[in-house]
Amino acid sequence: MLQQRCFHCHEPVPAGTDFHCEVLAETQVFCCAGCQAVAETIVAQGLSDYYKFRSKAASKANAIPAELQAQLTSYDSAEVLQDLTQQVGDAQRIELSINGMSCAACAWLIERKLQQNSAVQRVSVNSGTARCELVWDAKTAPLSQILSQISELGYQGSPFVADLEEQNFQQELNAYLKRLAVSGIMTMQVMMLAFGLYFGEFSGIEAQYEGYLRWVSLLLTLPVMAYAALPFSSSAWRALKARQLNMDVPITLALYYTFIASLYATVFDTGEVYFESVCMFVFLLQLGKFFEFRARKQARDATSNLLKVMPVSATLWDGEQGIATSARRLQSGDHILVKAGETIPADGLVESGISSADESMLTGEYKAVSKQAGDLVLAGSMNHDGILVVQVRSALTESRLGQIIALQQQTLHQKPAILEKTDRIARFFVQRLLVIATVTFCAWYFWIDADRAFWVTLSVLVATCPCALSLATPTAVTCALAQLNRKGILIKNQHVLDVLPKLSKIFFDKTGTLTQGRFSLTELQIFTPLYDKAQLLNLMANLEQQSEHPIARAFSPFFQQALPLENVSLSVGAGLSGVYQQQKLRIGRPDFCGLDPQDPRLAGAQVCLSINGELAATVQLADQLRPEVSTLIPALLQRQLKLAILTGDASAAAPAVATQLGINELWQGCSPEQKVSAIQQSVQTGETVLMVGDGINDSPCFHAAHVSVALDSGTELSKNQADVVLLHNDLQQLQTLIDGARQAHRVVRQNLWWAAGYNLVIIPLAVCGFVSPYVAVIGMSCSSLLVVSNSLRLLKS
Amino acid sequence: MSIIYVLIPIAIIFVMIGIAVFFWAVRSKQFDDLDKEGFSILFNEKPASTTPPADSTPPSREP
Repeated sequence: MLQQRCFHCHEPVPAGTDFHCEVLAETQVFCCAGCQAVAETIVAQGLSDYYKFRSKAASKANAIPAELQAQLTSYDSAEVLQDLTQQVGDAQRIELSINGMSCAACAWLIERKLQQNSAVQRVSVNSGTARCELVWDAKTAPLSQILSQISELGYQGSPFVADLEEQNFQQELNAYLKRLAVSGIMTMQVMMLAFGLYFGEFSGIEAQYEGYLRWVSLLLTLPVMAYAALPFSSSAWRALKARQLNMDVPITLALYYTFIASLYATVFDTGEVYFESVCMFVFLLQLGKFFEFRARKQARDATSNLLKVMPVSATLWDGEQGIATSARRLQSGDHILVKAGETIPADGLVESGISSADESMLTGEYKAVSKQAGDLVLAGSMNHDGILVVQVRSALTESRLGQIIALQQQTLHQKPAILEKTDRIARFFVQRLLVIATVTFCAWYFWIDADRAFWVTLSVLVATCPCALSLATPTAVTCALAQLNRKGILIKNQHVLDVLPKLSKIFFDKTGTLTQGRFSLTELQIFTPLYDKAQLLNLMANLEQQSEHPIARAFSPFFQQALPLENVSLSVGAGLSGVYQQQKLRIGRPDFCGLDPQDPRLAGAQVCLSINGELAATVQLADQLRPEVSTLIPALLQRQLKLAILTGDASAAAPAVATQLGINELWQGCSPEQKVSAIQQSVQTGETVLMVGDGINDSPCFHAAHVSVALDSGTELSKNQADVVLLHNDLQQLQTLIDGARQAHRVVRQNLWWAAGYNLVIIPLAVCGFVSPYVAVIGMSCSSLLVVSNSLRLLKS
Repeated sequence: MSIIYVLIPIAIIFVMIGIAVFFWAVRSKQFDDLDKEGFSILFNEKPASTTPPADSTPPSREP
């Protein structure tokens, strides 16, 4: 029989379950209670159109645990709200980032659902960025109510504050769109009139109509010159003021020269007009810039959820009960309660409670650190399994997390500069062009034919018009970005493709980058005849399922079927116990299992299993290398790249990984500051450096390196700050990235050679006066087309 | 041919209106999410909260 698939999420329906609901007049089956509940909500609200039009299956909807529901209410505190929202009239405006959105129909679904809430004044969901803008009355409906309405549909909404940079990007994108529209629409109009003039040239046109058409063209070109071409002229002006020459200088020069020549021709009714060339040129350049900018903005949006790292809310503890408050308002000396699974909101000392905390994001140490009274906990680390009462030692901005973020802001402006190649070419080209144009003008004016001097100079400028040169790089870069994007490599800074072909050294973070950043089972020893290996592992996985501890997660791949366990109980920091078929099971530390820690059979084992107090099995756990690393490292070494490991881990695990991979350079036990200085040392010795990392502690050195790469499994902060994000979590893609950059580099070079070769041929002809401006325009368009189609080849590869 | 003295200015006015409408559309965020707007035409304007969902597809086969 064919495996039935869940109507909601298209995952297989497990055997022996019966979840169904009537959707669109047909009975459909579901895989779990979560999906069924979501479908029932959707149908009950009359939103079943969603199922008709969605283009992708929804993500599996997990029923919301009651404790998560309780967490949502912490957003209702007035202080938290004040930090997250803006006042609009008597309503609040907030931005939410939404997890689990797969297509545009999801956006519609959420909008409709929220619109049915009378407190909601405006709601707009963006399916591209998975963000929701919401204006609602917080007095009639608390935020938790709205968030739980979103989770009823199977999505998770969380408050989000866009950083300033992102808002600027949005404004700039809108400006690009407007300029594109102005130049595009005007080009159409002017082109239409130009055709009238072309035909007039052949079949004759009355002087009054010719003059009229020219004046109208002039009028229509004015907004293009004054508005759409503004970025070019202002960039050229900035460059000139700084006594530099960039690519925008020849563009602006050609634009203004052509425009002023046409203006002169129109006013004095002589010569030729080139308004259509001016408009078309601006439009084409804007189009290329627009696509490139949009690709970069999308890459940026996909990874900029900074606030998710910063804990938003905290629970103040007065000894008897907790009050929700904003994490930013915590003061030194406050007492806070941290529940299991929560992010610790501030640096502080544990007052009571036993738990373990995951600090790997901050320190690179992958083993959970056990915490009890008197221990220091760090903001941004994750509390695993126990409840802690913490006395706050410093406010969030002065915490370790806050310091790392501040350090990263500092390094932001210290990015090692590499002079853009196009700028160097532009300087070379513009200097010579200006000399040639001046010489041509003088030669014709003083010696050959003073009347033709102006027009010959114009044709020199138009023929050499740097269209092909200026399109050569952006088109190739845009195509390469799109191609790499499709392979799951997000590139947020365009200079990445410029720098990568020169790459000479790669720094790897260890925990979470070279290794998987979590425990996995390396060795199992069995001391009982009762069960075989698979049965034992399944038994242990069943027990460990009850725990949130990272060690417990190492067993989850071995879970095969649910066993009827009784009396399962968790002892924080020690282990788990339970009863299975009248046998008492204990899994955890040796002393917890009732075993003698000195027993030689226990050497090296982290976890033991005992059955009725007898040792049954020992397990060794370690942070294993990612599977692709063992092939990646030799491949990179073959490319003559120097490799180094840069880790915060001070244990013996670091040199072990280095020798296993054959990497000679190892910096271990580094603080974020030391990581930054290690990279800066390399940069100073002339290396072109790439840094691969995943933790919060890696993010400051991302700016110190020429190029930084983060993995999708990394922290939000590292993804936000990196130049490149590998979406498939596959380090092998580093090679794809380097290859892609080299290919783009090759195409850029071909384009530049073509543009230069074309100019070498046309300039002598134009200088001698053999090229009429019309021919010059045709030549310019053809060479631009060639450059663009050469760049498009990158999309296919 | 003197009609072009009237027609071209009229055409320019239309172009101006077109650009103004486009600017308004950009400002009211209609270009922020191109996927969703493409879908919006498929869905019912009014959420059919009480009527059964079968009403939303009237495949009227009668002549």
